[in-house]
Amino acid sequence: MKQKKICLLGGFAVGKTSLVRRLVSGLFSEKYLTTIGVKIDQKMVTIHDHSLLLVLWDLYGDDDYQKVRASYLQGSSGYILVIDGTRPETIDVAIRLHQTARQVVGTVPYVLLLNKHDLAEDWKVDPATLGELSRQACLVAKVSAKTGDGVESAFSALAEAMLNGS
Amino acid sequence: MASSSRTPSGSRPTEFTARQADDFSALRRLLLAPEQVQLDRLRDRLENFSLRPQEVSQVLPDAIRLRAQQDNRLLASMIPITQEALALSIKQSPQLISDSIAPILGPAIRKAISRAMREMLQSLNQTLEYSMSWQGLQWRWEAWKTGKSFAEVVLVHTLRFRVEQVFLIHKRTGLLLNHIMAEGVSGQGEEVISAMLTAIQDFVRDSFQQSQEEGLESLRIGDLTVWVEQGPSAILAAVIRGAPPVKLRDVLQGTIESIHAQYSDALRSFQGDASAFLDTRLLLEDCLQAQFVKKPGGLPFSVWVLAALLLGLLGWWGYHAALQHQQWTRLLNRIEAEPGMVITSIREEAGNTVFLGLRDPLAVDPQMLLEETGYAPATVTFRLEPFLALTPEMIYRRALLILQPPETVSVSLEGSQLILAGHGSHAWISAVRERSLRIPGIVSVNMERLIDTDLERFETVRHMLEEESLNFFPGQMTLQEHELAKIEQIKQTVQQLDDMAKVLEIRPSIHVIGYSSPEGSESTNTALSALRAKYVWQLLDPLGLRMISLEAIGRGVDPAALASSPKEGQSYDSSRRVYFEVERLPVSGERGGE
Repeated sequence: MKQKKICLLGGFAVGKTSLVRRLVSGLFSEKYLTTIGVKIDQKMVTIHDHSLLLVLWDLYGDDDYQKVRASYLQGSSGYILVIDGTRPETIDVAIRLHQTARQVVGTVPYVLLLNKHDLAEDWKVDPATLGELSRQACLVAKVSAKTGDGVESAFSALAEAMLNGS
Repeated sequence: MASSSRTPSGSRPTEFTARQADDFSALRRLLLAPEQVQLDRLRDRLENFSLRPQEVSQVLPDAIRLRAQQDNRLLASMIPITQEALALSIKQSPQLISDSIAPILGPAIRKAISRAMREMLQSLNQTLEYSMSWQGLQWRWEAWKTGKSFAEVVLVHTLRFRVEQVFLIHKRTGLLLNHIMAEGVSGQGEEVISAMLTAIQDFVRDSFQQSQEEGLESLRIGDLTVWVEQGPSAILAAVIRGAPPVKLRDVLQGTIESIHAQYSDALRSFQGDASAFLDTRLLLEDCLQAQFVKKPGGLPFSVWVLAALLLGLLGWWGYHAALQHQQWTRLLNRIEAEPGMVITSIREEAGNTVFLGLRDPLAVDPQMLLEETGYAPATVTFRLEPFLALTPEMIYRRALLILQPPETVSVSLEGSQLILAGHGSHAWISAVRERSLRIPGIVSVNMERLIDTDLERFETVRHMLEEESLNFFPGQMTLQEHELAKIEQIKQTVQQLDDMAKVLEIRPSIHVIGYSSPEGSESTNTALSALRAKYVWQLLDPLGLRMISLEAIGRGVDPAALASSPKEGQSYDSSRRVYFEVERLPVSGERGGE
């Protein structure tokens, strides 16, 4: 059985941890996020009859108080960039994180998730404005951690891209 | 040369140049001849570049060593060739390979077996040691109280250290390459723990600005310690309970080094598929070490208890075996000593002891012997055929049974002669001889000292009667009043004698004899004596005797009176009398001899 390390990246309160919570029941408490800046979970996915164990590194949201530790990105086979669809400023954070990831792990597959799709009335991000960030991504999807819409398929898409790349 | 170029002439320069060229060549030959040869050789080598085996053979060992020091590329390129060569070699000559690897496989198998045995013994030892002791009971109580298993509590109290889990982690990705656990340890989320350990390492390394080569060496929580051993591409994390010794570090170091040496390619090209590292298990198992607290000297309590139990059991068994043996011997001696019983063989039948032989019906019941000696009667059966034993005891026993002697008769045996002594009734004595001779083993009977009590009494009474005398007055043929009074007593005596004669089966005669005194004429005296006898006979006749016949006899003058003339003043009163004589035929068997 293959394993792949993937990182969850995004600004503060974009809903990364909630997305993970939809997928797995974690072994570690979420307090690790605020202490050492990472919380790790695992998720088994099946792609074309092949099992793949995703080891998810949920990195603390990048903000003024704490920066994402580049060392946590090392060895990732892919990553998930999360943007809060109701907060356009999280796009800048995502771009910055994307650049950091490129520096550390090189060109690896990633998916771009626009979270909080359920809050349609507050939606402020137009996917067309994402430019380079969305063109390079193997998937751009509107998801909702609250309803679970699109989450599972986003992980599957990343898993498949990683398998094809390796 | 510069000066010569400035020389003004027409053809000279050419001549000079040719001559100069020759000189130059000569000079050059003189100065550079050795180097020229070398240069020519080098040119030749460069133009015809091909390696010669001799040269290669000289540099090959050093070249390999130097290349291997640089990186593993040489090793990697040799692997497929070596593998193919090995596969071909196995195909062509399997025996050679099997002989070659036997010295390696043997110890490896032995090691694995001894490890398994050691683990089993250790757990058995612990269970034995602590399950029965006072401490064991306390720990059981603790286990019950805390809800832990007994084994867990024992482990906590007796463990010096134990490596519970070993993680082999890919350094760059934090992905788990392999993981092993000690027996009885339960793990969960090893992949996540592996990643988290890596994250913590990264966190610490970043926080204290250490280089990539540095890393956490140890984590400690309660009595759990995580020792981390860093390698260039992988790290080894051992989860240890208790206080590990420093030398365990060497083991971990050795293991991670071995893994790097053997799996360097796999580590370098790792893309998430850990199956290439399954075989690291053998190396990792070396790290699963444990050490337990040694109990201070002496044998464990449980061993004492077991030994005491065993000894007790042995003692109990021994006591019963000895008792049984004693009872058995006693039974055999008793049977041997018992008259009228002959054991011909003893055999075992379905757990039963069967005695085969002969038994006189008068011999003691063998079941009684069993009860007497205490030997378990249920396990013994007697199959004894009846027979007549001719041992003196049995002849004697049979004589007593058949003769039924009265208490006043003593019975003894001398050889084949039965001796009867004492007093017995006439009826018993009369039958005893014949019955005695019918007893097997008795040839003769001695009854000399056997007295017939009925006959004895008869003789006594006869004597009493013969002592009686009835006196008459001179010339009288009837009795006076006072003499007549004796008749009642005499009647009773005669009656007694008649009764006894009946018992004795004899027919005695009682002679009633009359006498007279010498006074008077002889004829008168004869008649008088006869009349007196007749008179008394008549007095007794109404008795109706069954066995006795009475006879009246007159004998004339008393011969005692004739023998001596009476002195002066002496009368013949005692001569005028009637007395009795009893005559009897001998009783059959009386004074019986042999």
